[in-house]
Amino acid sequence: MGGLRARAAAARPGRTAPLLAGAGLAALLAWSWHGTAVDLPGLFGGEGMRQVATYVAGLFPPDLSARTWRDAAAGAVETFAISLIGSLLAVGLGLPLSLLATRTLLYRGILFEGRRPGPGARTARVALYAAGKALLNLLRTIPEIVWALIFVFMVGLGPFPGVLALGFHTGGVLGKLFGEVLEDVDPAPLEALQATGASRFGILVYGVLPQALPQFVSYALYRWEVNIRAAAMLGFVGAGGLGQRIHIAISLFQEHQLLTLILAIYAIVTLVDALSAYLRARLV
Amino acid sequence: MLSVERLVKRYPTGDAALRGVDLEVPAGQVMALIGPSGAGKSTLLRCVNRLVEPTAGRVRLEGEDLTALGAAALRRARRRMGMIFQEFALVERLSVMENVLSGRLGYVGFWRSWFRRFPPADVEEAFRLLDRVELAESCDKRADALSGGQRQRVGIARALLQNPRILLVDEPTASLDPKTSRQIMRLICELCRERGLAAIINMHDVALARLFVERVVGLRQGAIVYDGPPDGLTPEVLTTIYGAEDWSEARRRGGADEEEEEEPEVDEQRLAGLT
Repeated sequence: MGGLRARAAAARPGRTAPLLAGAGLAALLAWSWHGTAVDLPGLFGGEGMRQVATYVAGLFPPDLSARTWRDAAAGAVETFAISLIGSLLAVGLGLPLSLLATRTLLYRGILFEGRRPGPGARTARVALYAAGKALLNLLRTIPEIVWALIFVFMVGLGPFPGVLALGFHTGGVLGKLFGEVLEDVDPAPLEALQATGASRFGILVYGVLPQALPQFVSYALYRWEVNIRAAAMLGFVGAGGLGQRIHIAISLFQEHQLLTLILAIYAIVTLVDALSAYLRARLV
Repeated sequence: MLSVERLVKRYPTGDAALRGVDLEVPAGQVMALIGPSGAGKSTLLRCVNRLVEPTAGRVRLEGEDLTALGAAALRRARRRMGMIFQEFALVERLSVMENVLSGRLGYVGFWRSWFRRFPPADVEEAFRLLDRVELAESCDKRADALSGGQRQRVGIARALLQNPRILLVDEPTASLDPKTSRQIMRLICELCRERGLAAIINMHDVALARLFVERVVGLRQGAIVYDGPPDGLTPEVLTTIYGAEDWSEARRRGGADEEEEEEPEVDEQRLAGLT
């Protein structure tokens, strides 16, 4: 009994660590709250709120004339197409790059327990990995909207720069995620395939990719859901789709058309979410 | 047929897993490699087909020095050594048939790997093997739909499809229940006999080893401390291999199993009813 109590007493000093961490976290939160100038009365009370309410009321009713309908439908189709082709381009870019960003395919892990690459070859492989990783980071850190500005400058206005923007940014995201999936596959079957005398390529297509594929599909579908929203925004910088029409509607104070376009975005985002959920259930 | 000479493996951490192992396995001999965890059994097997690179020493298969081979020649040599694993090591999402056919990956080229298309002769042989291990009806099932014993039989068929000269078998029954363990050991030994294959079988279960193999090699701390028939595994020898312990249980169970083994028909009828 006495022994137990002594041990409990000895254990007690360890409990100050979580307390300290909690206090630190609280301080960080308070500092961030202050730093971001959170102003709740300014948000919910006062003039701003009334102005927004007036503006929103002014949007009604939505313009359902045939011309606006056609315009919204065309914009929605274009946005859908941008998100789809952009996401496919992202997979096309991300998949090959992810192979470079996978250490276990290049220089370490179970495939390299036996014959190791010589020091020169190993350095080259590590460099290849670093280059792949750096390229993916570059693609990923530049936001879609900045890529869109760059590509509008390069290829002109329209949906095409939107596709490129989504492809490049999302390609960087998917490349990183795919690489993590590839590094995470169960190594045991890879060892077994290696023992049959299979080449690294055979092991990749027969052992690594089948294991990674369901997660690849899942990630790609998720990014497609993200991209449909992003595609709707890219139009603000001239990259086609609903965003471009919304930008015009706002600039020309066409409030009723604006509401129709916003409803179109809502519809198409819902549609893609449902489609993605359906495909995920079927494929994964 | 296989000869291991003064094999040493030191891991980069400095641990010596093998300290100069000499081992000769004649053609067609099925032997068990026993020893405590960490004795170097797995390392020894993997040094033979160089999944793990030996630090020093030689491994010869049918006269060819495996330790001197370059990458391409090593892959060709690995085709002659089938490997069977404790956790089966199947690609779970692929079908039974595809898993068996992966045993031919060392023989086929780039495009056939890419499209998973194998020559018709390979496919026929795969069907024959699946039939032999009694999994013919399951050939289109996904590997993760099978029980442990069935998965191990897929692993065995995969190894045999390589058309190997020797089987390297790593703890084939450690993930299986006692009954399935015996079925699997029996199957491996039967197949070795049918095809004149040699085999090195790593195992924990001394009693099971006594039942099925003609030769036992005991490994302790990376060195061979016993090499002889299963009958020679006296309590003193077991103590040398594993350290001090009461061995009557392992020895008695071995004896009891042997008696049971004399009525294989009964056993097989029960199995037929179960599977």
